[in-house]
Order: sequence, then structure tokens, then C-alpha cells
Amino acid sequence: MFSKILIANRGEIGVRVIKTCKRMGVKTAIVYSEADADSLAVEMADEAVFIGGAPASESYLVQDKIIDAVRKTGAEAVHPGFGFLSENPVFARRLEEEKITFIGPNPFAIESMGDKITSKEFAAKAGVSTVPGHMGLIEETEEAVRISGEIGYPVMIKASAGGGGKGIRVAYDDAEVREGFPAVKAEAKTAFGDDRVFIEKFILSPRHVEIQVLGDKHGNAIHLFERECSIQRRNQKVIEEAPSPLLDEETRMKMGAQAVALAKAVNYDSAGTVEFVASGVDKSFYFLEMNTRLQVEHPVTEMITGVDLVEQMLRVASGEKLAIAQDDLSINGWAVESRVYAEDPYRNFLPSIGRLKRYIPPVEGEATGAPGVVRVDSGVREGDEISMFYDPMISKLVTHGKTRDEAIDTQLAAMDRYHIEGIQDNMPFVTAVYEQERFRSGDITTAYIKDEFPDGFNGVEPTAEQTLILTASAAHVHGVYSARAALTSGRLSPPETVREDWVVILDKSHYPIKLRFAEGRSEIEIEGKVHVLETEWKPGTHLLEGTLDGKPFAVKFADRTEGYLFRHRGVALRALVCTPRSAELHAKLPEKEAADLSKLIMSPMPGLVVSMDVELGQEVKSGEAVCVVEAMKMQNIIRAEADGVVKAINVGAGDSVAADEIMVEFE
Amino acid sequence: MKDILEALEAKREQARLGGGQKRIDRQHEKGKLTARERIELLLDEGSFEEWDMFVEHTCNDFGMSDQKTPGDGVVTGWGTINGRMVYVFSKDFTVFGGSLSKAHASKIVKVQKAAMKNGAPVIGLFDAGGARIQEGVDSLAGYADIFMENVLSSGVIPQISVIMGPCAGGDVYSPAMTDFIFMVKDTSYMYVTGPDVVKTVTNENVSHEELGGARVHAGKSGVVDGAFDNDIEALTQIRRLVDFLPLSNREKAPVRPSFDNIDRLEDSLDTLVPDNPNKPYDMRELIEKTADEGDFFEIGKDFGTNILTGFGRIEGQTVGFVANQPLSLAGVLDIDASRKAARFVRFCDCFNIPIVTYVDVPGFMPGTKQEYGGLIKHGAKLLFAYAEATVPKVTVITRKAYGGAYDVMSSKHLRGDVNYAWPKAEIAVMGAKGAVEIIFRADIGNDEKIAQKTKEYEDNFANPFVAARKGYIDDIIMPHSTRRRVAKALRQLKTKNVTNPAKKHDNIPL
Repeated sequence: MFSKILIANRGEIGVRVIKTCKRMGVKTAIVYSEADADSLAVEMADEAVFIGGAPASESYLVQDKIIDAVRKTGAEAVHPGFGFLSENPVFARRLEEEKITFIGPNPFAIESMGDKITSKEFAAKAGVSTVPGHMGLIEETEEAVRISGEIGYPVMIKASAGGGGKGIRVAYDDAEVREGFPAVKAEAKTAFGDDRVFIEKFILSPRHVEIQVLGDKHGNAIHLFERECSIQRRNQKVIEEAPSPLLDEETRMKMGAQAVALAKAVNYDSAGTVEFVASGVDKSFYFLEMNTRLQVEHPVTEMITGVDLVEQMLRVASGEKLAIAQDDLSINGWAVESRVYAEDPYRNFLPSIGRLKRYIPPVEGEATGAPGVVRVDSGVREGDEISMFYDPMISKLVTHGKTRDEAIDTQLAAMDRYHIEGIQDNMPFVTAVYEQERFRSGDITTAYIKDEFPDGFNGVEPTAEQTLILTASAAHVHGVYSARAALTSGRLSPPETVREDWVVILDKSHYPIKLRFAEGRSEIEIEGKVHVLETEWKPGTHLLEGTLDGKPFAVKFADRTEGYLFRHRGVALRALVCTPRSAELHAKLPEKEAADLSKLIMSPMPGLVVSMDVELGQEVKSGEAVCVVEAMKMQNIIRAEADGVVKAINVGAGDSVAADEIMVEFE
Repeated sequence: MKDILEALEAKREQARLGGGQKRIDRQHEKGKLTARERIELLLDEGSFEEWDMFVEHTCNDFGMSDQKTPGDGVVTGWGTINGRMVYVFSKDFTVFGGSLSKAHASKIVKVQKAAMKNGAPVIGLFDAGGARIQEGVDSLAGYADIFMENVLSSGVIPQISVIMGPCAGGDVYSPAMTDFIFMVKDTSYMYVTGPDVVKTVTNENVSHEELGGARVHAGKSGVVDGAFDNDIEALTQIRRLVDFLPLSNREKAPVRPSFDNIDRLEDSLDTLVPDNPNKPYDMRELIEKTADEGDFFEIGKDFGTNILTGFGRIEGQTVGFVANQPLSLAGVLDIDASRKAARFVRFCDCFNIPIVTYVDVPGFMPGTKQEYGGLIKHGAKLLFAYAEATVPKVTVITRKAYGGAYDVMSSKHLRGDVNYAWPKAEIAVMGAKGAVEIIFRADIGNDEKIAQKTKEYEDNFANPFVAARKGYIDDIIMPHSTRRRVAKALRQLKTKNVTNPAKKHDNIPL
């Protein structure tokens, strides 16, 4: 075994690798960019080496700097994590030449699998079923349109070096190919420094099922069953699980055997993933690609097999024989992973970068409020910055239960207790998915989010049970505040007890209640029924955790100018607790009309203006592109919401914009 | 007897209806509550004791003798907010448009005098059309009587004005002399002369909202200290504000039980100040993480945004927070920020509220706009206010404290009681680059030398140790322990007793 390794990565995966190394007694060194100097990964590693500016192209992607860092620290091996240099055969070869061990597969395997075109040729040879498509590289947009027509729509335009949801677009007609092809090419160039693009048939109602494989340098290869990652948004995985609700034992074994055959065909000697697209109808499956690295979603496999994949990568890289045989493995229970992203689901999932003003993850281990187990893989702490330079992932929340339902219930319970402030996260959306019957039934496809949320995410209405939880919580909170306010010094009369009759206004609905308040325990009478709420909540804390009629619950709470803001799963509601008289007066105030913003084009997030596509005085039609704003490596086309004539342009290409900054005004 | 009781009740009923149901409905349609409804929401339920319900005007000109409404357009009296006494007057727009008669003014003056005598705040709710023109000079005399009481009360009892409808002409000057003014968005406006006169005199076309709406005064003119969405929110927030204030200058700042621990460490504050000295950060986070339960009542949120002012509590006791805000103009001191903070500091000093100051200031704002606007005098206000304040003063320098602005921001030299600095603080005459370009002016162009000297200057001055060695800084503290250190400093200052030399009054550079 190595005595010291270098981690050529950052954030969550850096921390993940360090944890295993610490357990194994392997010393760690990590590289870091300007943006990551104070990161958790740097703090946890035994050594850290500064390698340059915040953009990955100045630091994490610069091979010379990584190799220098290896020399400086005396590390024997490099763990590349995922992304950055993890699937770069040139880097793997350079390490080989420099006699540094790469904790990943051999360069030949990376090369043959990393390229989506050659990988298909290998797959076909190894007897793995493949999807119809155009194997050659495409240079011109018109050529792409012609080829797409030949394959038949819909088609998928994919960067040859792509992965992780970047550099992929689906086109349903010629026009979309004309728009998407150059965009993919450009994205591929910036993200991977390789603008080769190919096109293949897009299978309708597909499911994304992948097999985890593990090989050693002695010709052994095994698989660790499948993961299903069908819940994706714009081809970016959101929820992953293992096993897949689709597969039966027979299909699982068939798929596993094909994956192992492919691994053996390229002498695969590390952890890798063979991705398939499977039909939800007949369980037929086709090879998509092989990822020659550790996957983001590897924890779900670890949770159901009990195998530490990072440990196995280290062991096989150091030349050990695989100590696990196929027959040693079995599936234990069910694991689900949510990717918690710094993005705003209410604003079309735009990146929400900035400082984590408050960051309180759920407690790991036995869950509260659900029967399963919680694991949080994260590289951030309170006070850290989610930077515009890297992936906007805050953490991976992984849960394990005896059944799929248990694992999902544990996800919900854990997310209820996961508090993030300062930036917006995607948990309201993810919990909304978990609460859908269709998701529970396992009837999912990669188009699930498009199907279920055709107009994007606008929050969800509370269920009767949630309404009760929120009403009771608001009443109790108000009781705590009222009881304390009565104790301010300088009173005329002795403090009175908290009154009983109140009206809780949730959004626009009025709920008359009777509150019998005591510290830590309130009886709340709603519609003639008495409910008991118990909690240790006190002002200043943002998580209200307790039991209602004996049943555990947790809601997120914020004190706002008027009333309390409660967030619970996909529900966000303002609650106002007032006297019956005040509630009556409330009803008299007319609703204020929202300001008319249709004549303004505002930046939906902080970012950089890449291009301004309109001119003063120009007539713009609704839906027409106005400008492009780049944030988190993603280019967002900002479109006009109504027809109009451009009256003012406040920013130009190269300018930084803040969220809600007015960029263009119409007459 | 029964008849008399019935007559009394009928009279009361008439008074309660003010200008009649029709006008009350009009008021509601406009999104406004009535004078009485507002009082109900402002005070503890059932606590209002009304005075002068039967007062009528005494004017007999222009047919006014047949038009009398009991109460005469203003509801006055006293009640409690969370059990603590306040006096209230609330203008009734439904009666003569809330216009001010001599009798109306006398009702207000009666409340003001009682408040002074008994030591409790006065809260005025404004929704009125100005002078009762029919009364002529009597109406003007009434205004002046109110102004006089405003001035005598200033610094003795807190005075709060909430503009909840029109407020023009003579009516604006009473609020102007109170400690805090708040407005309701879209339904209130406030100006000396209205759009019609403006049009005649200056030929400007301007709407009520553009001339004196809540957004104008809260953001541009700085006349008001906050704008709220509607009547209910405004009144709820006034209740919250009153909880922070002592009832008069005879009392200490109020205390209430706190659920927060003074030993609460906030590790994330160690990374609040970015490594890059030119990168902004949100100073509000420091206030929220050091105040009890993160509760901060901001004053003047939309005006002079490069400085933050407002109330919070530490160990349950009210403190006034003043903090440069690097997010806005790098936290520089300009005219608006100096005026805003000076007034806030003086309020705190009047009412025995300790002041906690968080400093990250690159200096005063340069430029003709500022100099022509009188930055010298306006900046001096803040300096003056800090220097004369005798309440406990605790200061923490988080990053930059440059030049004269360092002196101004509650420095040791202006009788700062406890002055701390974070480890990355730079207390210097100016930034290293600027300093070197002056000291080594001859070497400008010799980049290497300038860089070397800049480094030297940074090493020698861009840290808190120089000031700490001289005792200008009492200690260099870890950011995560700021709450505990500030709380302990305030404990120590509970018995502080300092008085300024006897004088009629000072002559602050107005």
C-alpha cells in the first residue's frame, strides 16, 4: 500500500478520498486553487499544495502543476477524483512516464473507453449491445443536420469528451440541431478543451441504468450491481439509487456480465462504470458509454454492498489482487442519493452562488424521524463559498433503508433537517419528487422531470397534514415570542399569560385556533380537535424539530418582517399569527399588485455577460434571445418575455452582473 | 339615568364612526385602515384609553358651525405595547380629511404633555390633508404648539411618526422633528409643497409618489427611516421597534430574557473577511451572528447603504449597532452615510443605549459632488456624535480602518471604551499602495522599488499590531469569539458613568 497519495481534485470528492485514506493509514496531500485555500479538503489533508488561479484551466487542469505537486510532497500515487484530469489519458500516460501511480485505470482503458466512438467499437466487439448512431466526428452544423435527419429524430448531440451532463443536448428537429450543435461544440471546448462532437439516436422513455465494475492488474474483474440515475434535469443527474427498481435478477446478471466482459476487453484495472440506456417497457438495454473513473453517485453502491470503492481503487492501483469475488457480493437493502445543488428551483434552476451563511447538515448515522441511515458527502462548512468557478454541488445526501420506501422516507426526514442559508438550494424540488406517487412506484424515465414539471417548478401546495404541522408550528412559535415579549422590563402591569384565541393566516387561508401555550409544549385546538406539539425550539434557531401528536417532524423557520416564513419540503409559506380582530382587519386590506417587470430584462443570477444580442431601438419578439449570461460554466440564453422595442441597454459583453440587475429595458 | 347613558353611548358611537361609514369604506378601498383600527393594531388588545372623544372645533366661519364631528379628526390617548406605556395620536382622514384645527391640535398637545410628564414615548399616525383653512391663523398656532412640544420632548422621550396617508405642508414638520419616521408604500406621501405648486413654480411635472412617496424618502432623501408594505406590517414593526426602546431618558435600555448564549462561537466568522482586500462581504452577517438570536431591527435600510444602523440586543439588553457596509461603495463614509449614522448615534446616546460599532472603512468619499455637498460638515457630524456620546461604546475593526475615518468610527481617541481588532485588520493612514506613492513619489515608475516599499509598508502597517502596541486597540480578538468579547465588554460597562462639561447645549455642525 502507498504511504502517501496526492489528490488532484477539490471539494466533496477530495474530502471523500481523504476519509478513506485516514482510515487506511495513508497520508494525503491535496492541491488547491486560489478559491479553495480555506476549504475543508485542504484543512483535512495532511499537506496541501497551491497550484494557481481559481479557473480550473489555471489550476486543477494543469498537468505540470499536479506533477510538480507530486514531486514536492513525495506522494507515490495520484487520485484524480472525478472531473478535471480523471479521464485524461495524456495525464495518465505522463504519470506512467514519471513513475507515479495513477489511481485509476491504465491509459489504454481510458483512451479506448473515454472516447465515445471507439468505446462503442470495443463494446460491439465484446458482445455488448449498442445504440444506433453516427460513429464519425462531425465538423459543420449543416453536416450535423443532415446526419441527424438520417438517424431520425430525436437525436442526441454529444461532446466526445463529455460527461457529467455537460456538453450534451437533445434535438427534436433541424432548427434545434442548428442551435444546439455549435453550443455543444463551444461548451466542449471550454469544459474539456476538446470540441469533437458526435450524434446518435435518442431513445424515448429511456431509463439510465449503470453497472459499477471493479478490476485489478491481474486480469480479474467483477461488478457491484447497478445504479439507476434516471432522474435527471437537462441530462444532469439529480437522484440516483441502487438497486434499480426496473431490473429483475436475470436482467441484472445479463447487464453485469456484459459490463464485466467489456472491462476485461480493455484490461480494466480500477473502479469504473458501464452506462446503459434501458427501456422501461421491455427491459432491453444498450451500451451508452463507460466512465473510467469513480462516479459521483458511487456512495449508493457502497451503501448496498458494504464495499468502500475508494479503498478498492487504492488497493488495486498499488498492485493488490481483488480480494472480493463476484459471489461474495449481494445487495443489502436500498440506497438513494440526492445531489444537493446550489441552484434556485423557483427560478428555473439557475445557479445560486455565494457564501453559506448558515450550513447545518443532518446528523449522519441513524436517522431522526425515519428508520434508515444517513450519510452526507460534502466538502463545505458554514462560511464557505459556493464559487462560480466550479460545479454548484453542495453535497450528496445518501440514505439507506431496508426497502426503497424506507430509503426515500429517510431522504425526506434528512432533508427536513438540512438547513442552508445564504444561497438557494434545490431541496424543495427534490423533496417534491420524492413525494410524488409516480416516483414512489418506481415508474421513472430520464424524461421524468420534463414530464412531471413541464412548466418548471413553482413550489407545491401543502397537504392537509403539512398544513396542520405548519399551523401548529406557527402557533407555538408565536406563543414563545409572546410569552417573552411580555417580560420586557418597564411594564405597567404584571406580565399576563399568552392569550388563547388566535388566527393563523397561512398564505391567504385563515385558521382560527385556540393555543394553550407552555414552554416546550403547546396544545393547539384547530377545528375542534386538540393537537399536542412538543419541541425544544427557541428563537434564533432555524430548524423547528419536534413532535406533533407524537409524530416527529421538522420544518425550516425564518422570522420575516411580517410573519414567519416556513419551508417544508416543496412548500414555502408565510404564516401570520394574529388576534381575531387583527385577522379581520387583514381581510380588509386589498392585495397589492406586483410591479410590472415585463418591460425589463433582469439577470436571473450573478454572472458574466457573454454577448449582448440586441441593439438600441431594435424590435424584439417574445422569446427572442436578448443576451447570454454565463455562470457556473453554463451559458444561459436570456429571452424576451414580451414583444417590445429596446429602450436602454445597461450592460455589454464582458460585464459582470448581479442577480436581478436590469440589463435591458423595453419601451 | 338610563337616558343619559343611552345618549352617552350614542355620542360615543357617533365619534367612533368618524366621518361616517361611506368614508370608512373609501379608506378601506384605498388599502388604508381607519384611525381607530390602526390604534387597535398598534396597542395591546383592549389597552387603549381614549381621551377627548367629545372635543369639537370652535370655528363658526364658512358654515363650519353646522359641521361638527366629535373628536375633530384625531383620535388620542394612551395604551400599552407588550405591557409598556405609550401615548398615541392617530389622524382620522374621514373627518375633514384629517385637517388640523385649533381643537385638534390641543388634543395632540395634551397627549404630548402627558407623555413628557410621565415619561413614555409618543407615537403619531399621520393621514391628513394639512391645515383647516377655515380656521386661518388658529390652525397655524395649533401646529406651532405641537412643534414646540416636539422640540421640548426631543431627547427626553422617544417620538415616532408613521406616515400612513397624505402628509403635506405644516403637517410634515412635526414628524420631521421626531426620532423616527416610517412610511407605508404606495398609500402615503410626504412633501412640503405638492405637485400642483411645484408645477406652477418650477414647471416640473411630478406625481405624488415621485415627489414624496415612501421609496423617495426611504431611499433618496433619507427623510424617513423605513418603508413598509401596508398598514398592518407598519404597525407590527412599530411594536417591534418600541420593544427595543427605553420609555424615556430617565430609564436604562430595556432588558428582556434572551434565549441566546453569550458564549456562542461562530466559526464561520473566521472566513467572513475575504483574503482579497478589495472583495466585499456582507457586514450584516456579523451583526446577525453577534446579536441575540440574530435579531436586528434596521434603521434607514435603503438610505446611505454604505453604513448599517439599527437595534439589536446582547444578553437581552438593547444595543445600537453601527457598521460600515463593504457591500456598498466599499463601506466608504460619504454625506448620506455620515448623516444617517450621526443621527442614530445621537439617538442612542440620548436614551442610554450602548453603541456597538463594526469598522471596515477605506476613508471618506472623494469627489466634487461630495465636497460641494459639504462632506466636511456632514462628516464632522458623525465625528461629533461619537465624541460627545457618553454611553458604553464598544468597537471592533474587522478589516480596514484608514485615515480620518478610523478616528471617526468610535476610536479609542473619541472615548471608545473597548476597542478590538480582528487579526486581519489594517489600521493605517491609508492603503499601502497609496501611502508608498506619496512617500516615494520620486520613485513612481520604478515598479520594482514601489512594489518592495509597498510590501514593506504592508508588513509594518497593514496589521492591527502597531495600534495594539500603542494601546489604541485593547486586544486583537478571533472573529469567531466576537459575540462573547463584545458581550463581556458591555457587562463591564454596565456601571459606566461619564458626563460631559455643563453647558446650555453643544453646537454640533448642523
